[in-house]
Amino acid sequence: MIEINRQLCIYCNSCTGVCPALANRLREIKIEHDPEKCIDCGACVKACPMGAITLHKGKKKL
Amino acid sequence: MGFDYDVIVAGCGPCGAMAAKAAAKAGCKVAAFDKRKELGAPVRCGEGIGLHWLDELDVKISAKAVSAEINGSVLVSPDWKHKVTIRNKETKGFVVDRKVFDKDLAIDAGRAGADIFVHSEVFDVIKENGRVTGVKAYVDGKPQEFRAPVVIAADGGESTVARLAGINTTATLYDTDFGVEYEMVNVDCEDLIEVYFSVADAPRGYVWVFPKGKDVANVGVGIGGLHTPNAKYYLDRWIKAHPERFAKAKTVAIKGGIIPVGAPMTDAAVGEGIIVAGTAAHQVDPIHGGGICLAMEAGKIAGEVAAKNAKNGTCDRKHLLEYAEIYKKVREPKLLKRLKLRKVLEKLSDDDLNAVFAHLDDKDIDNLLKSNFPAVVGKMTRLLIDRPGLVKAISALA
Repeated sequence: MIEINRQLCIYCNSCTGVCPALANRLREIKIEHDPEKCIDCGACVKACPMGAITLHKGKKKL
Repeated sequence: MGFDYDVIVAGCGPCGAMAAKAAAKAGCKVAAFDKRKELGAPVRCGEGIGLHWLDELDVKISAKAVSAEINGSVLVSPDWKHKVTIRNKETKGFVVDRKVFDKDLAIDAGRAGADIFVHSEVFDVIKENGRVTGVKAYVDGKPQEFRAPVVIAADGGESTVARLAGINTTATLYDTDFGVEYEMVNVDCEDLIEVYFSVADAPRGYVWVFPKGKDVANVGVGIGGLHTPNAKYYLDRWIKAHPERFAKAKTVAIKGGIIPVGAPMTDAAVGEGIIVAGTAAHQVDPIHGGGICLAMEAGKIAGEVAAKNAKNGTCDRKHLLEYAEIYKKVREPKLLKRLKLRKVLEKLSDDDLNAVFAHLDDKDIDNLLKSNFPAVVGKMTRLLIDRPGLVKAISALA
């Protein structure tokens, strides 16, 4: 799963567009991440133009 | 089957608003949903649009929506030694205020009779017997169902609605750029869009300065999805590297977004009871990443085709494919040529780019942008003899 730095995120939706599992959804002005859907592919980590997303190996919830 | 609407549009940006307007004008009962309370915000782009589009799309732009009038573009080589300025009909345009511009388009759609639901997120699609027959959306904070024989997915780069319907619009990192920009004050600007090419400063992308006024500009960078670490890193570094211009600049807004720069979707953007349009269907210019007017064009086509088939009761994929057929005629060939140019440009080093720039004038750039490649390649014969490495890359254009 990933961790989103909420103070850095600008809700630009890059992470949503590249997520093959639809685990990231923009809700009004907050990206919601569903760790159950996340497949740890890291695409959104690369996509985030702000560098606000980091990948945590393993699917355990924080 | 009872339908609430003839046409449902998910997303009310430039694409969705144009789709809703076109369908309403054709006499359909239309609903457009958008998750945002305030259309146009948060802004996710450079906000530049070409003047020639407004006539083509029959759209009038209000004075309030214009931040700055643009009379041309200046393209700058990586070493800054060569600057090519183009001032012609195609490079005339506006930097708009998306918060006003997008709302104006929605107002047009509303005047044409479309219902607009803001702060109303489409969170799922309704599918029956393998075809889309409506959407589930939060309206007034409550999940509700709305049925229509055809849904237009116009929800931008995230393209969630299409994917909920089973159409794969996921952006691949290779064919996607990611951008960040700061709206800054105390930045001296002319009436020109400034574009800085440099692999070192913006790998597989460019740095831009789009004037929003005499001393206000959108300063941004887009980079290819496979490049690291992120666009913000490159933007901060570039601004810091040019204190002569930016030492007194203050950031008053941060904007960012996803920019699909691969091939536009056509047939694949159509399903049973659904059309995907605009940035959601990757209908973006692969060279400069501009998507506002392309989205408006696609939205208009989608709205017209959806309206016609909703009235005829023929919202199966076979009939809705007319949208793809029109798109293939009016726009796809031009975008595919530009994709070809993108794939050549992304192979060039800063050295190559400097050498190429030294041989180009404004007419050459104009020819490149109009995909008239042979005229430019012919002129560069001398350069190609000196740089055999370039031949392979550029020969793809011949």
